[in-house]
Amino acid sequence: MKSQRKMKAAVFCLGWIVAILWLGFPAVAADKENCLMCHKYPFVGRIDENGKRHNYQVDEASYNHSVHRSVACRDCHTYITKIPHDPVTEEVNCANVCHTKPPFAQEKFSHQKIIDIYNDSAHGIKPDDSPEAKKAKPYCKFCHLNPLYTRVSEKVIAFDETLRRCLNCHQAKGVTQAYIHMTHRLRKKTTRSPQEVVQLCAKCHQDVELMQKLKVSEEGLTAVATYNHTLHGKSVALGSQETADCISCHASFAIHDIYRKDNPKATVYKDNLMQTCLQCHTETNSWFVQIAVHPRTKREENPLIYMAGIGLRFALYGSVCSLVGLMLLETYGRRKDGIKFLLRRGTSWRGKSKRPPRK
Amino acid sequence: MPGEPKKQNHPIAAFLIGFIFAVLTLVVFAGVIHHLTISHHGPQLLKPLKDKFFPEHKSPILEEAKRLEEFEIHRHFHHIVEYPQLPESERPVCFICHSDFPHTKNKKVRSLLNMHTQYFVCEACHIKEQTDARIVYKWYNPYDDNPQGPFIGTSYDPETGNLVDVADKFSKLTPFFQKGDELESAIQKQDAPLARDYVKIRDKLTPEQRDGVKNKFHVSIKEKGDDCKLCHAEKGILDFKKLGFADNRIEDLVQLNVKGMLTKYEVFYLPDLFLAPESEKP
Repeated sequence: MKSQRKMKAAVFCLGWIVAILWLGFPAVAADKENCLMCHKYPFVGRIDENGKRHNYQVDEASYNHSVHRSVACRDCHTYITKIPHDPVTEEVNCANVCHTKPPFAQEKFSHQKIIDIYNDSAHGIKPDDSPEAKKAKPYCKFCHLNPLYTRVSEKVIAFDETLRRCLNCHQAKGVTQAYIHMTHRLRKKTTRSPQEVVQLCAKCHQDVELMQKLKVSEEGLTAVATYNHTLHGKSVALGSQETADCISCHASFAIHDIYRKDNPKATVYKDNLMQTCLQCHTETNSWFVQIAVHPRTKREENPLIYMAGIGLRFALYGSVCSLVGLMLLETYGRRKDGIKFLLRRGTSWRGKSKRPPRK
Repeated sequence: MPGEPKKQNHPIAAFLIGFIFAVLTLVVFAGVIHHLTISHHGPQLLKPLKDKFFPEHKSPILEEAKRLEEFEIHRHFHHIVEYPQLPESERPVCFICHSDFPHTKNKKVRSLLNMHTQYFVCEACHIKEQTDARIVYKWYNPYDDNPQGPFIGTSYDPETGNLVDVADKFSKLTPFFQKGDELESAIQKQDAPLARDYVKIRDKLTPEQRDGVKNKFHVSIKEKGDDCKLCHAEKGILDFKKLGFADNRIEDLVQLNVKGMLTKYEVFYLPDLFLAPESEKP
């Protein structure tokens, strides 16, 4: 009897403790330490000694629609231990282990795996890199902002209908978030459009001076310009969403495994080209892969392409100018002959030519 | 002549088609001419003439400013949300020199002080008191003589807990000198005669002359602004209720933890209640 009462008391106490804990700590949110108390304001910022403007606002509405929405501020900004905190001089380490545990995973989330792939790639910093190269090589944040969730096209997935099926069994809140997170990635290879990819890569690769400092190959120096001359480049410039961008050819689905073309691991290594082109061109053969994707157009480097370019330009300019020239000559001739231009009764041109009829 | 076929009118469709073709041909022609002469994609045949008659004035400072702005947008991992700004001609004159980020010295609070420029004109904290007048605070909007709100930062959205997004993004708290029944704005507007003149001739002044003008501008401005606690207090100089703030927002503003952290503690260490134990850290 006594032990039963003790048991009841223990259960009662435990219940109270659980209730207090439950009420005391609100649902886990990314801003559990209330960093937004200061950082939610648009004008939190300063102009530093070098004249650079720093804006420290984190827009809560945007953040809550971003892929990192569940990650607490100090999971990334680990060096902040006190407030008001000192000026931040340390970079965020994306290899940090987050406090987020993905569904069906035993371990906490980290970007370490993709960082390992990246470090091995041409962009990763190597011990024997020159200081200049180390400085110039892009770090995670150079390419990655905190992406906002976007919906894939309804052609790819019937968004609401599919979600409704999940909700038959799963709780709405959790599964909706997970669903949005996963479907955001349901793209061909990258979430970014080909135009964004080309623009991003070109940011460094079209800077010839920088590329020379990094001792890239002759072909690499003109990679952006030569790509822009190709059918791929022009289609992307005209807004195509299907055409190959830089990532399509230079990386596998790991996206970050970009190597120099003489590295056997590179997707553009001569032995891997067939596989790479097959991603889009199903009729690829050994001849097809020999087509230059970054063709040189200078006379001394590739006279055939150069002459073909000149010929095509002449054909374009010549035909359009000839057409307009003919129109003008015809108009001039008729006017000179005294024929008037009228838009009524019969033809558009009226009157009798002053020119004597041919015999 | 008899027997000769009679000329038939062209159908309207023929005129229309002809017109469309003529327009298309001329557009393509214009494109080709543009490509050949000016476009940087083409041979730029008229570039020497363009450079001669319309020389491009490149300003290294402007280029650098643009580069830094782009850099900041790119550097910022979190999205920078554009906030509407008054055109320079409508801003109080302080912004000409001091911008929206005027505080730079005190590392501890400079960013937080700059945050207030969204809500206050500079004079709200930096105006010198006058012996014959009382200072009262009101919302001021250069586009509206009598702004009614709701104003930015005055209430929370009950669903999200965020500050309510309002239509009026330009009103700011502004001091007015009250002399009897009359209210006189304490801000130095750009349309004040001195300010208007300064905007026009500031580039022509020598540094010494500019210092002189600056002194005139700052004659009723104190260098050190008011303390946080003057406003962030239950009986502070701002009557939050009268200014349209919601009760729960007033509570947060007068009991603001930041104020406490700044005034009571030198350093406030974050509790590590939510952090993983050291053993779990990578």
